[in-house]
Amino acid sequence: MGTIVGLARTSTIDEAGIRDAVFRALDLVGFETFGPVETVAIKPNLRFYWDYSTGETTDPRVVASVIDYVRERWNASARIAVVEADASAMRTRYAFPLLHYDRLASEKGVELVNLSAGETCELEVTVGRRKFTFPLPRMLFDTDLFINCPKLKVGPYASGNALHITCCLKNLFGCIAKPRKVGWHPQINEVIVGLNKLIRPHLNVVDGIVALGQRPVRLGLVVAGRDPVAVDSVVARIMRYRPSSVRQIRLAEKEGVGSARNISIVGEDVKAIAKVFPSRSPLAFKLAWTGQLRMLRLYAKLSGDAVPPLLD
Amino acid sequence: MSIKVGIIGFGKMGKLHLRVSRYMKDAKVVAVADLSQRALRAAEREGIRALYGDYHEMLRDADIDAVIVTPPNFMHLESTLAALEAGKHVFVEKPLAMTSADCERIDDTARRRGVRLMVGHNYRFFDATRKLKATYDSGAIGDAVLSTFELVHGPLAPSLESQPVPEWYFDREKVGMWLLDLGYHLVDLFRWLFGEAEVVHARLDNHYGFPYEDNAIVILQSRAGPKGVLQVGYFAKLVFPAFDFRVILHGTAGCLSTDRLVPQNLRLHAAKEGIANMLRRITARRIKPLSYTYFYSSYVEEQRHFFDCLQNSREPAVGAKDAFATVRLIEDVYRYCDRVPSAAVRAS
Repeated sequence: MGTIVGLARTSTIDEAGIRDAVFRALDLVGFETFGPVETVAIKPNLRFYWDYSTGETTDPRVVASVIDYVRERWNASARIAVVEADASAMRTRYAFPLLHYDRLASEKGVELVNLSAGETCELEVTVGRRKFTFPLPRMLFDTDLFINCPKLKVGPYASGNALHITCCLKNLFGCIAKPRKVGWHPQINEVIVGLNKLIRPHLNVVDGIVALGQRPVRLGLVVAGRDPVAVDSVVARIMRYRPSSVRQIRLAEKEGVGSARNISIVGEDVKAIAKVFPSRSPLAFKLAWTGQLRMLRLYAKLSGDAVPPLLD
Repeated sequence: MSIKVGIIGFGKMGKLHLRVSRYMKDAKVVAVADLSQRALRAAEREGIRALYGDYHEMLRDADIDAVIVTPPNFMHLESTLAALEAGKHVFVEKPLAMTSADCERIDDTARRRGVRLMVGHNYRFFDATRKLKATYDSGAIGDAVLSTFELVHGPLAPSLESQPVPEWYFDREKVGMWLLDLGYHLVDLFRWLFGEAEVVHARLDNHYGFPYEDNAIVILQSRAGPKGVLQVGYFAKLVFPAFDFRVILHGTAGCLSTDRLVPQNLRLHAAKEGIANMLRRITARRIKPLSYTYFYSSYVEEQRHFFDCLQNSREPAVGAKDAFATVRLIEDVYRYCDRVPSAAVRAS
């Protein structure tokens, strides 16, 4: 039997339904901790200040359910931190309260940690022939259990020139302590894989309650697994992409981060979920996006018309 | 004679006004003042040579005839008063000031100094709202009885350039009455169409965990009769060119909506306008700047109006009195909420 990826769905998208789906997905994976779990770090995906209903950020109710699971199954008194780093256009000191993570923290008695503010270590990694150095938060290496809680979504890179799936592998990009991360975007796939070679989450719980493809879609889905490459491969299939066509998955497998083969999918039928996922063509996106921007620049140059600062 | 212009505040709006000013026949931006060195470097890249870290220094330049004031809302009062005292004509972004009392101070100063002042109520300059008003004023739909004004957006939607939302957006003291932002336009449009009004009901609420409200429903009744429901929110992820704005008037002889006046497909509109401008360019005619963006062309229209008023010694269509009345009506909304706590959920 290969790596297990557990899928659970809820038809009622409320606290109880989400909790039930998270618990079922995690039970399907059957993850056992290696030792005592005293400290836990949970990393959601927060993007700008957008609501979870847009499909852009992890639903705090999913994180709340993961917290409950940790306490019920492993250690009721574990010290739990919800962690996220600042980004070029997002500050955690605002994102946490705006997206109601501060309410979650007070209700569940957990800490909110800005990964850009704490102690960091500079770590080097090689991916293929490329060498990278990342400033990474020390706490991620000191915690007993690191749970990756990404969103199931597809979207453009910050540079805007290509689509990518954002799930387990990509969510670690948000662990880089330096807020301005756009400099890493030109080599995003290598950077993502490098980070996954350095930081190894013990468990991945994907929020697909509201997923994002061409538009947001209420899937009511939770995907869980230990191997980020295996989970992302399953997610790619839900999005109707061949996992081998997704560069970050292919590269991660080659670099030994995990495996996209021999996956045991348990709980739900991937094909049935894929049917309702509003898929997005990377090629069409690239043509539309780069086409529009090139046309705009060419038009402004030829006509002498202005471009509003919003479109710079 | 060309009007020499200085800009105070070179953030998103300052940059937009500079780019728009390049299409003005009789005006030229010659100086920019901003506290931020980064902003000044951006102005330099846009070709501005006279750069000031302190706007008071810029205002001492006797060659500058007019000033465009675009810093964050809470800085409007001080910089506008300083510009007026320096004898400059002023175009100031809305809101003119954070309170109606401050708007009155500015009005008094402008009159005492004998200079002209215009406030950037750019929603009055949308092609769709102008047509709506013209049709309504013509009597084509009879008397309006009911109306709806809707505007939903977000200060949180980033531009294509990854930059953080300005810090002051999160400071309740600096934001002041939240309706001074997006809600301001709807209150102003209601007054523009129907005249002075009073607050019938209001509900201010939070979707996000802002330190202030981020969505509101306000019911106004004009003294002339028409009632209006104003719905405004800051909560949406809308990426340009998406724009969630409409005015619907229900009259005794028909109904009218901006949805029928705004192009249905803004991308197609951009393509058509782009081609039209290229043809204008080829045939050596003047292009219609920013018309391809549809809504941004309102900034061109309002600036053109302002400089036209300066050239022809006319009072601008939107002065301090209008701004005062709009801000006072917004203050009435907040007074209503204080008086009727059960009807308004205020951010704590």
